[in-house]
Amino acid sequence: MTAVTAINMERKRGAASNGDAILGLIMVAPIVITMAALVFFPLIDTMWDSLHRINPMQPGTPFIGAANYTNMLTDSDLRASWINTFIYVVIAVAAETVFGVAAAALINQVKFGRRWLLAAVVLPWALPGVVNAVIWMWIYQPGAGLLNGILTTLGLPFDNHVWFNDRVSAIIAVTVVHVWRMMPLTIVIVLAAMQSIPEHLYEAARIDGAGRSKMFTSITLPLIRGAIAIAMTNATVSAFNLFDEAWVLTSSSLDTRPVLIQIYLETFQNLHFSYGMALSLVVTVVSLLVSLLYVLRVYHTTRFD
Amino acid sequence: MRREIFRSMIALAAVAWALPALADDAKPLAGKSITVLLPSPQAANIAADFEKATGIHVDMQTLSWDDIRPKLVTALIAGTAPADVTEFDWSWTGQFNAAGWYMPLQDVIDKDTVADIGVAKIFTVDGNLLGVPYTNDFRVMLVNKKQFADAGITKMPTTLDELVADAKQIKAKGVVQYPIGLPLSPTEGASTSWYLLTKAFGGDLFDKDFKPLFLTPDSAGYKAMALEAQLLKDGLVDPASTGLKDSQINDSMFAKGLTSIMISGEPGRLGQMNDPAQSSVAGQVIAIVVPTASGVTRSYGLPEALGIPKVSQNQDAAIAFVKWFTTKQFQIENYANGVLPTRTSALADLNAAGKLQSGDALVAQSKVIDPLFAQGTPTWYPQFSSAVNTAINGVAKGQVTVDQAMQNIADATQKAMTQ
Repeated sequence: MTAVTAINMERKRGAASNGDAILGLIMVAPIVITMAALVFFPLIDTMWDSLHRINPMQPGTPFIGAANYTNMLTDSDLRASWINTFIYVVIAVAAETVFGVAAAALINQVKFGRRWLLAAVVLPWALPGVVNAVIWMWIYQPGAGLLNGILTTLGLPFDNHVWFNDRVSAIIAVTVVHVWRMMPLTIVIVLAAMQSIPEHLYEAARIDGAGRSKMFTSITLPLIRGAIAIAMTNATVSAFNLFDEAWVLTSSSLDTRPVLIQIYLETFQNLHFSYGMALSLVVTVVSLLVSLLYVLRVYHTTRFD
Repeated sequence: MRREIFRSMIALAAVAWALPALADDAKPLAGKSITVLLPSPQAANIAADFEKATGIHVDMQTLSWDDIRPKLVTALIAGTAPADVTEFDWSWTGQFNAAGWYMPLQDVIDKDTVADIGVAKIFTVDGNLLGVPYTNDFRVMLVNKKQFADAGITKMPTTLDELVADAKQIKAKGVVQYPIGLPLSPTEGASTSWYLLTKAFGGDLFDKDFKPLFLTPDSAGYKAMALEAQLLKDGLVDPASTGLKDSQINDSMFAKGLTSIMISGEPGRLGQMNDPAQSSVAGQVIAIVVPTASGVTRSYGLPEALGIPKVSQNQDAAIAFVKWFTTKQFQIENYANGVLPTRTSALADLNAAGKLQSGDALVAQSKVIDPLFAQGTPTWYPQFSSAVNTAINGVAKGQVTVDQAMQNIADATQKAMTQ
């Protein structure tokens, strides 16, 4: 009798398990289909097309193997744009992380009107990249620009200074606009993590005689490491995708040209579509590889936490 | 009597039945609808006037000039029509012909029209007319005659030496700080200025086999680049020009009286510059023929045309629009909107009526307009132009010498040719 009951129970459990599995499949089906149609299929199609010569000025689309990829090795403009892109990534990720965490820590201390402050901070991120860049173009303007005006008022020799005539200052100027736009996202992510830290940890630390800096390094930072890693991943991907700021401020200047502008020029100016596809795939892979460092870090941090 | 009334009624009924048919004959494409994509700004009444004339409804779309090409290319590579009638710039001719995206128009546009529009040959490849020019863009020089007079200059320059001397005098007299407007940014405007100066030095860019003619120091292209660097060094050109497009120099410097000479002036800008609502130097701006090294003026054309994509579903109505838009009457009317006619007859009529600003200079310049590429615009033009303006930008920033810049342009062109 007991054995029969156990078998029935097992059958019921199996049926329920099958039902759950089917329900689970139905629930995930929309996102799987959407991802397959809008991400995986285009990705595979692009990979396949990048192995062909797709140029509307030439007849046919013959298979050319890895020629588009090997051509990248001898493309001097591409090399320059990769160097610029890596500089953008390093400066932007470092600046967004350091200043973003600092800003989040400050905002976390604000007791009244935090929502309004946060809304104001998020504004640059909410604005389109082109709008941000145009605003900064006015700020950097040599004649009547705000930046030169302030520096000149302080007695410094910046009257009519052209910020984009020097490669170093041009790259920094473009990066500042990008950081200005993307840092709010870092602030929001890190602030959310800070607000989830239990207050009693700080109270215990205070009782043990810990100061503010000790609490920040021993409690806050370890507990927001995951959030910082997510913010850094986002900052990395967005820095690899930098386009609007460089295009509006310096057009296609080789001094500041990021790899995405190079892709745009190859694809839509030169009509080398499959070369543009190959470049896009390489940017995606490099961006993912760099981001993977943070993701692995998050994984270890989460386990440790 | 009753029979006569009956006959009259039948006649009236016949006329009533025939009237719509007659109207349809006059407007055979009435009721059709097309889309037109042109650079902004365009006159607001175009769609309504065309619909009134033909009964064809027009959905007029305008974009900034720089944004049109990506939109066209994206749609056309996907096999769809970006619009039934689109902008077709002279610089796209080589690429778009090779891609086979646009329908040949020589069989649907009458020969008199083509003959009247001299710059139509720039859009003709292998006997195929790919676009009908509607705006006559060529290069003259725009000068602020009041600033010249303020500096004590009474005679307009005809040689490059005189031009530089005048600019120095304007600066020395303190009339303006930077007398010459010259784009040095990595944009098309920087390239077109260098092409013009190359012409002004009496040379061309390539020989008949597309071998570069600008590599040696005694070549026109080399001298043109060296002159640009010298003008910047002498403080005659604003150092900020390394980041300015030609349109920005026009709008934010020349139209505000901050510079006296637009090296690569657009005739269509005369209306804007002399309009008090758009310019603070209204009434002071004239066009002069391009000063050259020899004193004999030269220039080249950069006209824009109307083209019809092969994949357009409304080609008949699109052709009707192209014909209407390039009629002599409409071109004369459209001059009020700053669009210089491409028809020689329309230009002559406007000048005879005294309506063409700096008419004598424009007519004189229009007689010596060459195509930039005698063999037709090559497919690799965008890469060439990009290499040119990148090189100019590099020279202006002091990052490369004129020698290196010329070699960089030649190398990039060679690479583009082999791709």
